[in-house]
Amino acid sequence: MNKKILLLLLISFIITVSCNSGGDSNKPPENIGTEDGPIVDPEAINKIIESFSSPIETAALIEDLKVAYSNKYLIPTEVASEFDSNYKKALGLGMLSSDLGYLNVYQRTNSIVEYLTVIRRLSDDLDVDQFFDFQTLKRLATNNEDLDSLMFLSVNSYNRMDEHLRKTQRSDLSALMVTGVWLEGLYLACQVNKQADNKEFRDRIGEQKNILNDLILVLKFFEKKPHFPEIIASFAELKELYDNVKITIQVGESKSQLDEKGVYVIVQDEYTVVEMSDEQLEEISKLVEKIRNKLISA
Amino acid sequence: MKKITVILFPVLFFVLFNHIEAIAQCKQQMVYDCATNTKDAIYLRDFNTKLKKSHPDEMSGTKWTVVLNKGTRYRFNLCTPEGNQDVLLTLYDSQHPEATAPYGSTKERDSFDFICKKSGMYYVSIRFKDEGEKKKTCAVGILSFVGKNQ
Repeated sequence: MNKKILLLLLISFIITVSCNSGGDSNKPPENIGTEDGPIVDPEAINKIIESFSSPIETAALIEDLKVAYSNKYLIPTEVASEFDSNYKKALGLGMLSSDLGYLNVYQRTNSIVEYLTVIRRLSDDLDVDQFFDFQTLKRLATNNEDLDSLMFLSVNSYNRMDEHLRKTQRSDLSALMVTGVWLEGLYLACQVNKQADNKEFRDRIGEQKNILNDLILVLKFFEKKPHFPEIIASFAELKELYDNVKITIQVGESKSQLDEKGVYVIVQDEYTVVEMSDEQLEEISKLVEKIRNKLISA
Repeated sequence: MKKITVILFPVLFFVLFNHIEAIAQCKQQMVYDCATNTKDAIYLRDFNTKLKKSHPDEMSGTKWTVVLNKGTRYRFNLCTPEGNQDVLLTLYDSQHPEATAPYGSTKERDSFDFICKKSGMYYVSIRFKDEGEKKKTCAVGILSFVGKNQ
């Protein structure tokens, strides 16, 4: 009996390792992100999840547009103690990583340590803390030294945690992390736009229509998991608002040239035109705020 | 019991060895060096892969999906150990296929900037420039944020 069990265990192990091996993805699905029906291929789902934006991108845009820093946009770290399920922890990890990105681009090193502490706790609870070098990050932030390294390590830690979750068949948690990053990024863009209406932010907010559709596809893949129906329902409500936003694609001229610094620059030939009224923008902003605040409440 | 162990141990060793070999990528130090050499751009993501010897009927390398946002200038740069010139990073999508009309690649230079005018899903691949027998290596691509579209 023992021999049989041992044999079965070894065969299972070999099969598992063999199936997971290989970093190459020579045949990834091309037709991801369609609305033709539910996606049943986990690889296709992972490809969509991996595509989502970095936790620092929206913050980088905000800073680049010279918008003044404000801590009122950020999630208070105290709420993290209320994250009592893996669902909330993964979502919270994504949202707080987005806020950490915001603090990084504005170089608010005092607050960074506070956010790093909470993120470490959540990553520990989700068993991905091995990718989060808390001591180095804390030292860099505390000593206010080498802020480029601090920013790199913060984002790189997030990327590696996210990748590890997908590689260890915990794509549901990875999906929640990227959802958290996306939602907090959209919330930041909406809040900043309220203060200073800006075409870049309006377009950024409007163009999330297509990204939201992809995100809903991902979340629906996990709809049998606890709590997922709640966020799917919230996003379906948001999608209804976005359905009224019109995005058209125009064909322009492709350009590529060396700029004054000698960098080779390629300008995309196609461009989109986003049509979104002030009322639509306000409705979307309000709903994003409501969904986000509900997720971080106890 | 002994027989099972004798038979399975070499098999297990072979599978594990191949697994480690297959997933080996460039070291994190190389990712860091590459990411911090992007000239005032903010690191967003890395594409780290191992490139194996390829046969004529086999495509080398890896492909990733990435969401890019309208109104943003991104930088793509490629790093390889000892500046291996055989490797290529390519940005493309379904309308601009990798083989025939990609948006851009590192064919001429190690990096390029891309001004995105349409938010959506794009693909980044890192492969050997030409198929055929090549020395195995690793490669790191870095995506970084340069600024808003100017």
